[in-house]
Amino acid sequence: MHDVYLAWRYLRHHKVRSLILTACLSLLMGLPLGLHRLLDEGEKRMTARAESTPLLVGAQGSAVDLTLNALYFTAAATPIAMREVERIAATGWADPLPVYARFKVRGQPLVGVELDYFDYRGLVPERGAMLALLGDCVLGADAAAALKLGPGDTLLTTPDNLFDLAGIYPLKLHVVGVLGKSHGPDDQAVFVDLQTAWVIEGLGHGHAGQPPSPAGAGPFAEAEARAQAKLVTYTEITPDNLDSFHFHGDPADYPVSAVIAVAHDARSATLLRGRYLAPDDTAQIVQPPKITQGLLQNIFRVGALFDAVSLLVGAATLLALGLVFALSLRLRRGELHTIFLLGCGRLTVLRLLAAEIVLLLLASGSVCLLGLEVLHRHAGDLMRRFFIS
Amino acid sequence: MSLPFPLLARYGFALCLWFLCAALARADTGRLKIVATNYPLAYFAGRLVGDRAAVEFPVPAADTDPAYWEPKAKGVAALQKADLILLNGADYEKWLPRVSLSKLKQVNTSAAFKDRYIHTEGVVVHSHGPGGTHAHAGTVYTTWLDFEQAALQAQAVAEAIAKKRPEWKSLVMENLAGLKADLLALDADLRSAAAAQPNKPWLAFHPIYDYLGRRYGFDIASVHWDTDEMPPPQEWEALKHTLAGHPAKWMLWEAAPLAEVAAKLEAMGVASVVFDPCGNRPREGDFLTVMRANVENLKAVLR
Repeated sequence: MHDVYLAWRYLRHHKVRSLILTACLSLLMGLPLGLHRLLDEGEKRMTARAESTPLLVGAQGSAVDLTLNALYFTAAATPIAMREVERIAATGWADPLPVYARFKVRGQPLVGVELDYFDYRGLVPERGAMLALLGDCVLGADAAAALKLGPGDTLLTTPDNLFDLAGIYPLKLHVVGVLGKSHGPDDQAVFVDLQTAWVIEGLGHGHAGQPPSPAGAGPFAEAEARAQAKLVTYTEITPDNLDSFHFHGDPADYPVSAVIAVAHDARSATLLRGRYLAPDDTAQIVQPPKITQGLLQNIFRVGALFDAVSLLVGAATLLALGLVFALSLRLRRGELHTIFLLGCGRLTVLRLLAAEIVLLLLASGSVCLLGLEVLHRHAGDLMRRFFIS
Repeated sequence: MSLPFPLLARYGFALCLWFLCAALARADTGRLKIVATNYPLAYFAGRLVGDRAAVEFPVPAADTDPAYWEPKAKGVAALQKADLILLNGADYEKWLPRVSLSKLKQVNTSAAFKDRYIHTEGVVVHSHGPGGTHAHAGTVYTTWLDFEQAALQAQAVAEAIAKKRPEWKSLVMENLAGLKADLLALDADLRSAAAAQPNKPWLAFHPIYDYLGRRYGFDIASVHWDTDEMPPPQEWEALKHTLAGHPAKWMLWEAAPLAEVAAKLEAMGVASVVFDPCGNRPREGDFLTVMRANVENLKAVLR
């Protein structure tokens, strides 16, 4: 017990050296463990999201982009036409759930879906109500917190290009509800009905009068009013102009970024996949669990590389620490000789040194555990913020 | 110590009552909720499932045409609670692109014959009283006035219910057979009556009888009049021109026109015949009784 006390007093006396040694050992132990914790969390989340979305239909091209777009609302995906939804429904083998994740609003993904998507993901409004009319939006829990908005507020969409005068006008969305926390990418999203997404895209519009010109009466006021009345775009959908909103062209041509195909059983899923085997088909069907597995394999390869690097760095650090210890022993030669002269045997000196090492290891282990606990609590957010999105 | 019997009985009775109420509440929440966007579909659903499901028809007043009704936010929330939303299709529900409803719950009952929809050309915007203006360009939506098509719509309703509640399939199909028999009997009745005077020219107060005309061989020319308004003089002039090239002897109305309108038509040699499309719930009777009365009205003038 005296050995531990003396070792503790020694380490306290050399605070800086002890702290540096503790930090080095903590990092040495914590880094590989932390990385593996993050990888495990990522794997768990990606696997769960992918397994809840067994089949995805999208445009030919990158299956990874398609999967990331439909599941995490990241990565731009080439759009496909709405008729793909009808094609899936017509087979009778699966229920199609279209997703249109093309726009962002104040940094949050703006996702156009149909109401069935909310049922499928088990998303219900915690505050307010569900989407009802054109121009409504519901916010994911994190999106509501980030945007500081709730039911009754409005949210202006961001135009694609500020310098494109003929481009898409921003639309003032009405926040009607905030969804309960799902601990997934849905928490980050601003959800609108597919039709509202198409209005934002410029495919639907209204034909009501424009608000009066702020310039007031003047020689050009009448001409300006006439010119404004001819404009066919709206910045806000209100009960007064709702009736005038309509869409042009064939709705089957309207874009969606992906279609989640919820097959009724394994046989239906296989039959549906068979429908997309034609080489000249403009659409492809992918299995997100397989795509995610591929992504995870790449992550694990990076993880294995990191393990090797950690091993080398760890070995180098341990050697450096050994050197520090050996040099400190040389520096402490006088001190150790005094201990010997006081009547302590060589074993006592060894016990004192061992106690120092044990105390350093205990301190490093504690710091490492604390760090891992913090990481464990925030692993999901970290994974989503820095790796998935 | 034993509890007095009346006290025990009282508590026991209260407990039984509570269990009964709870069971009934559970039974009601588990009940299939069907919403139909016009009365014919609500009638078909009611005939097919009886009291087993709650069949709702959200259009309020009997004098509102469901084709021009539009749900507000509260109404949309009620529609969202339905398990099955029966749509007429053929552009009947013009409000559909402006509301958020589950697509998987929607059933377009006329999808089986969508290649046979009648599309009209030209836009004629007109109004009926204070209800605002509307146009009849696009697709003719009164699909059920061809009773064979009505039977197909009833079949689509039955299949949708059976898909939702497979345990009701045999019962629903049995009821469907009866409903189809009634509709096809009307069809046969009208076809045999119309066969007596094939391809005769007719007039219609409104362009909603195109499917009726196509199925039963009536050559119909439509005007845009109202049952409770005297048409302006230019409409009468236009009618004279129409009659010159289309010598109709009968004019179809959804309800009896004003007496003076009927008299003026009589003077021009055109008799008024009521054929109620029954888009909304009738004040008396049901879809079948209204359609039987319609067929009888036509048979009376075709004799």
